[in-house]
Amino acid sequence: MDFTLNEEQVLLRETARAMFGNECPPSLIRDAFYDVTSTGPEDARTFFDRHLRDWAALGDAPVVDLCLFMEEAGRVLAPGPGWVNTSMFLPLLRLIEHPLADQVAAGEMTGTVAVCGSDGYWVLSEDPVRSFVPHAKEVDLVAVLSAQNTVSCVPATELNLQEVATLDRSRPVFQFDVPVGLDTTGVSAEELAAVLNRGTVALAAELIGVGRWLMDATLDYVRERVQFDRPVGSFQGLQWKLVDAALLLERADAAVYFAAMCLDSDAAEQHHAVHVAKAAAGAAARRWARDGLQSLGGIGFTWEHDLHLRLRRAQASEQLLGSASWHHDRLAELIFSTG
Amino acid sequence: MWVDPVQLAWGAEEEAFRAELVAFLDAEVPEEMKGGRDWIGDESPEIPQWASEFQAKLFDSGWMVPSYPPELGGRNATPLQTLIFMEELASRGVSRSVHFGGYAIVGPSLLEFGNEQQKSMAPSAIRGDTVWCVGMSEPDAGSDLASLQTRAIPDGDSFIVTGQKVWTSYAMVAEKCFCYVRTDTGVAKHKGISVLIIDMDSPGLEVRPLRHLTGAIEFAEVFLNEVVVPKENLVGDLNSGWRITMGSLAHERGALWVESVSSAQRALEGLVEIARRQGLENDGVVRRKLAELYEEVHSLRALGYKGFASFAQGSSAPEHSFMKLATSELRQRLYAFGMELQGPYAAVVDPELVEEGGRWQQSWQISLAATIGGGTSEIQRNVVATRVLGLPRG
Ligand SMILES: Cc1cc2nc3c(=O)[nH]c(=O)nc-3n(C[C@H](O)[C@H](O)[C@H](O)COP(=O)(O)OP(=O)(O)OC[C@H]3O[C@@H](n4cnc5c(N)ncnc54)[C@H](O)[C@@H]3O)c2cc1C
Repeated sequence: MDFTLNEEQVLLRETARAMFGNECPPSLIRDAFYDVTSTGPEDARTFFDRHLRDWAALGDAPVVDLCLFMEEAGRVLAPGPGWVNTSMFLPLLRLIEHPLADQVAAGEMTGTVAVCGSDGYWVLSEDPVRSFVPHAKEVDLVAVLSAQNTVSCVPATELNLQEVATLDRSRPVFQFDVPVGLDTTGVSAEELAAVLNRGTVALAAELIGVGRWLMDATLDYVRERVQFDRPVGSFQGLQWKLVDAALLLERADAAVYFAAMCLDSDAAEQHHAVHVAKAAAGAAARRWARDGLQSLGGIGFTWEHDLHLRLRRAQASEQLLGSASWHHDRLAELIFSTG
Repeated sequence: MWVDPVQLAWGAEEEAFRAELVAFLDAEVPEEMKGGRDWIGDESPEIPQWASEFQAKLFDSGWMVPSYPPELGGRNATPLQTLIFMEELASRGVSRSVHFGGYAIVGPSLLEFGNEQQKSMAPSAIRGDTVWCVGMSEPDAGSDLASLQTRAIPDGDSFIVTGQKVWTSYAMVAEKCFCYVRTDTGVAKHKGISVLIIDMDSPGLEVRPLRHLTGAIEFAEVFLNEVVVPKENLVGDLNSGWRITMGSLAHERGALWVESVSSAQRALEGLVEIARRQGLENDGVVRRKLAELYEEVHSLRALGYKGFASFAQGSSAPEHSFMKLATSELRQRLYAFGMELQGPYAAVVDPELVEEGGRWQQSWQISLAATIGGGTSEIQRNVVATRVLGLPRG
């Protein structure tokens, strides 16, 4: 496994970082957080239209490239349906050879994916309800998956979308009753699993970006903040906690790109690697949210400081596409199923 | 294997390297080494003959330190080839030597800091013909190595050395000691340290073996009472010893983690087998715990490879600062879990009564040293905090 990035990948990351740096300031994110759906502030609501449509074709790219982009998006908490649209919706349309796939890749159409039933577990469901459907009000189409391994594409406007309020208002999720008599296309279970794996690793990469922002903000703060006549970052009790959190983030980061490489090369280990990646990335982001908050003291507990936006993203995204415990249980099945 | 090992898709040259290595290992690894062993002193502190012969054979065939030239037991291997070498050794549980002081610390340090005559001692240190010990720690200088007090006072063509070393591995079998001494008491403590080569049979030098908690005799106290050491045995410049503690092994640093990750991976595989044998396969707590350990082992392996990618391109690899800390603590937990899976037999050491002849109890005890020797976990955390995270010194 070679973690060396090629020149295009380095360029991709730098371009994405510069774009987010210039176009996605913290003020925009805060606005997006207050209301991201229909009535939110213009800048946040249109951010995806103005800047992310051009990147939709990453859905066709190697997973490593997609992850590099998602990490940058996670760092700034970029608003909009970019993650679900590129990492799962486009690959699903490619899978069923949908006539609109090229338009989605060109950024002219967008979509999201409806997987779980009302119990909220991310497994293909027979339930008449789909829940935790991300960004459904911001997209044109919803791809509804079923336990029979079918895909149906429905215009979002034809669905009765009810928002499920979560901690994370910057990634709204919706519930709806699946309309009867949808046109369906059958695919194989393996093909669907591959799409979900892609979405899972992309989300894990986003969580790495969330964790990186939290780590940077925390380290900057504890280097500067003085109490008892010394920077609080010089206290060993804080240092060791942050070292352990940094180790967790670094190994999660490596696990995410390892999983991306496994998917790109169709490696035998890919399912193991995806479980490891999401479990580790989710844990790392939540750990930095918690330890970062604690290291900031009172300011960390305010609405004013941007930390809580990441705390919310880390906590809510943990449940999307499976929590760490859920992935560990799947991993245990794989571990014990082979001789 | 229950999951495929990472099969690195390297080029044809690398695969040829691997093929030659595999053929060598298949033919030459002694039976005794196949259990995996890198320490001396189970029953006696002697270095077994099979271990010396194997080390010499590795050297003569260019497989001892592959990145070195042939006259130093290598074959000018690239960093990538060194990584492959480490992987193949580690996946078989094969160690190059049962005493790492000579080839891993003293040989490289002599080459980097020694004069011509001292450099010429490196090949035998690496080949294992001369057994070395490294005298750093003292009763009052452990983590705070720079406070060491063993004094070397110039006297004509010699130094007169008086003091005490402790925890000195291999001291009872070593011919020579790579010894850190104080040569200037009037300056800041880092600035008055030098390194001397001391013959272990020098008059005034006495070795008292100490037992490990495992029962093995591997390290010792070394007492030095007015030991006369010729001035030509000074390594590097006078009072430049602190630099030498920081050197050594840089050429293999990118791949050193492979061994510890591989042994963690083997332990994990072993845990799955114990869980099966103990009928705990369907125990939810055991399953989740094993999956968590799997996550840890495999994400650390990925982190090692990520660091290697920067290392091979000549950048520093902060990832590797984490590896000793992470793998030493992880291995302790892996072995402890292997005991826990044996229920009430966890603490039984009768090989007839427990899993794999007591392997888990034994490995757990040995693993307790790894968070102390070579820099304690606490010191590692301090180092990562200040050097990698850039936090202010405490
Ligand atoms: C198996 C084995 C083999 C060894 N072989 C050799 C050898 O060949 N040659 C040699 O020279 N030495 C050898 N050592 C010694 C080893 O390097 C020392 O034990 C180690 O550096 C710790 O020193 P100490 O034992 O004096 O502990 P101390 O330094 O006294 O530490 C005691 C405790 O205090 C903690 N502590 C110390 N300073 C700090 C700090 N700044 N912040 C937080 N916590 C701190 C430590 O982490 C530890 O938990 C060996 C040790 C072992 C276990």
